[in-house]
Amino acid sequence: MKLCRNATVARLIRVDDTCLFHPRSRHCAWRSPPALIIMEYDALKTLHSSLPPFAPHIPVGVLPVLALVLLSTTFVLAFYFSTLPKSTIPAKEVAVASTASVLGGFGVVALFCTAGVYV
Amino acid sequence: MSLKWASVPLFLLLSITSGLCGASSFENTAVVRTVELGGSVVHVTTTYAIRALENNLKTYTIALGKEDRAKTSWVEVKVKGQDNTLPFTERVEKHLSLFDVTLPKPLSGNKTLNIVFENIQTHATTPWPQTAAQNEDQALKYTTDLFVLSPYSTLVQRTKLRALTPRFISWAEPQGIDAFVGDAAVTKNGANVVYGPYKDVPPSTLDNFLEKYQQPVTVHYFHEQPVLEVRKLNRAVEISHWGANINIQDDISLYNAGPKLKGHFSRIEHQMQGYNKKGAPHVLPALTLGLPPGIRNTYYYDTIGNVSTSKLRVAPLPPKGAQRSQYSILELRPRYPLLGGWNYSFTLGWDAPLESSASYDKKTGTYIVAIPILTPIPGAVITDEELKIILPEGATDVSYVTPFPALSAVMGTHVTFLDTVGRPSITLRYKNLTLKHAQEIYVTYKVSTLAHIKKGLTVATALFTLFVLAGVARRLDFSINRKKKVQ
Repeated sequence: MKLCRNATVARLIRVDDTCLFHPRSRHCAWRSPPALIIMEYDALKTLHSSLPPFAPHIPVGVLPVLALVLLSTTFVLAFYFSTLPKSTIPAKEVAVASTASVLGGFGVVALFCTAGVYV
Repeated sequence: MSLKWASVPLFLLLSITSGLCGASSFENTAVVRTVELGGSVVHVTTTYAIRALENNLKTYTIALGKEDRAKTSWVEVKVKGQDNTLPFTERVEKHLSLFDVTLPKPLSGNKTLNIVFENIQTHATTPWPQTAAQNEDQALKYTTDLFVLSPYSTLVQRTKLRALTPRFISWAEPQGIDAFVGDAAVTKNGANVVYGPYKDVPPSTLDNFLEKYQQPVTVHYFHEQPVLEVRKLNRAVEISHWGANINIQDDISLYNAGPKLKGHFSRIEHQMQGYNKKGAPHVLPALTLGLPPGIRNTYYYDTIGNVSTSKLRVAPLPPKGAQRSQYSILELRPRYPLLGGWNYSFTLGWDAPLESSASYDKKTGTYIVAIPILTPIPGAVITDEELKIILPEGATDVSYVTPFPALSAVMGTHVTFLDTVGRPSITLRYKNLTLKHAQEIYVTYKVSTLAHIKKGLTVATALFTLFVLAGVARRLDFSINRKKKVQ
């Protein structure tokens, strides 16, 4: 068994075909997982089955509707953006563009998920 | 039992030597080894009925020969009748692998216990003859050591080799072991070939004994099922929080390790066999897999394209935490039947709701996901597997526990749709996996709310850039007739 923490852990090297590699030890022997690690696996397994299941922040069923609404609004705002007068300080343009971008950004993510590309 | 006089000095020598080596702590009252002969996978179960000769004994040693150890891919030790496994450590002495098993309770003098040592061997059989015509039978050879190795003396031991059908072509006759034999050294009874019972066997790990009595025995038998080997399995598991989805994709290189086809393939012969329902035992026309319940969007394609010859029956998804008793059944028919020596590479993948595999600990903000290591193919061995687990972008504090050690583990980054910095990934490599290895890895990680919304903000940034460019472009005059306008 191997408990590996931190996304920056370096590559582990295979020492032997049947080796239980311990990163802090060069001793290499095939053994049944030590009692402590068995407990960790069993404990994590028990914890996993006892915890509530994963729930997305936004229900999956809502995503298609959300994609339609957000992208439609983005389209409308983009059209509105194109009609705005050109001013020296484009405050209104920036506001409309920012709103359309944010709505469009999340709309695209929802669209991808709706299409089956689960990002 | 009648002793041959010539073996008495040897016995005395072995007895004295075994006493000096400390092999007198236990005595095997009976050892029974059962070998379930298969194709790619051979299941060996050895039951040791032991008696303690001293007090307070905590460790019992089991021995495996070099050849048997090289073929072993799974080892499990239990007390007979109990589910819990016993811990053990392995050490190598000379050419023997010794497993020191920790007993559940120290054994006092004259107490008995039954220990079951189970090991799965892979690539242990060879097709013989090595070629077979399309309508011929398939025969395999299996070789093992005659005596069950043990550092303790054994009152009686036997080895039973059991095939699927009672069709044995030949089996080896042991030589020079009259000292241990009662009635017959080997007997055949139905689908079993039994070596033994052999009585009063001294510690069989001693060099003297190994030199004089230990010998390989080979059985040659007909095998009625294809010998399947997955030479390479690349499994990618991708977790998506936005889509609440877990995608598992297997790239499989399937190989028929039976006797190679002699002559050419005849489609007429193959169809006649199918029509008469008398398929050749070494030909694989179709495969049935048990996939997780509640899956969707299953896809099956090979290098040519989508393969439509498949049928899926999806089992309903049980509530999380409930025992999974039903599996989705996928019957898939490769583009061509797989004959001996033939390969078939294909991709099989499916989506499943993430809630069926993942849980969330609100106190620590940690997600725990159960990742299946492999989809078992009955009777097949997976020679080489690479398992890649791709976590959501922005996952931190990544850790995992495995039910058995991997050959290697690498943490890296995987870049896919709408990613900026990429997603953390864990790549594990395994070798010689069987049904027993079909367990789950548990991965824990955290994903902050900011990391969740990062994807949407990334696309928003790209769109905003387009708006900025549009804003700039609106202020530029590209008209051709500018001079006329001025006039």
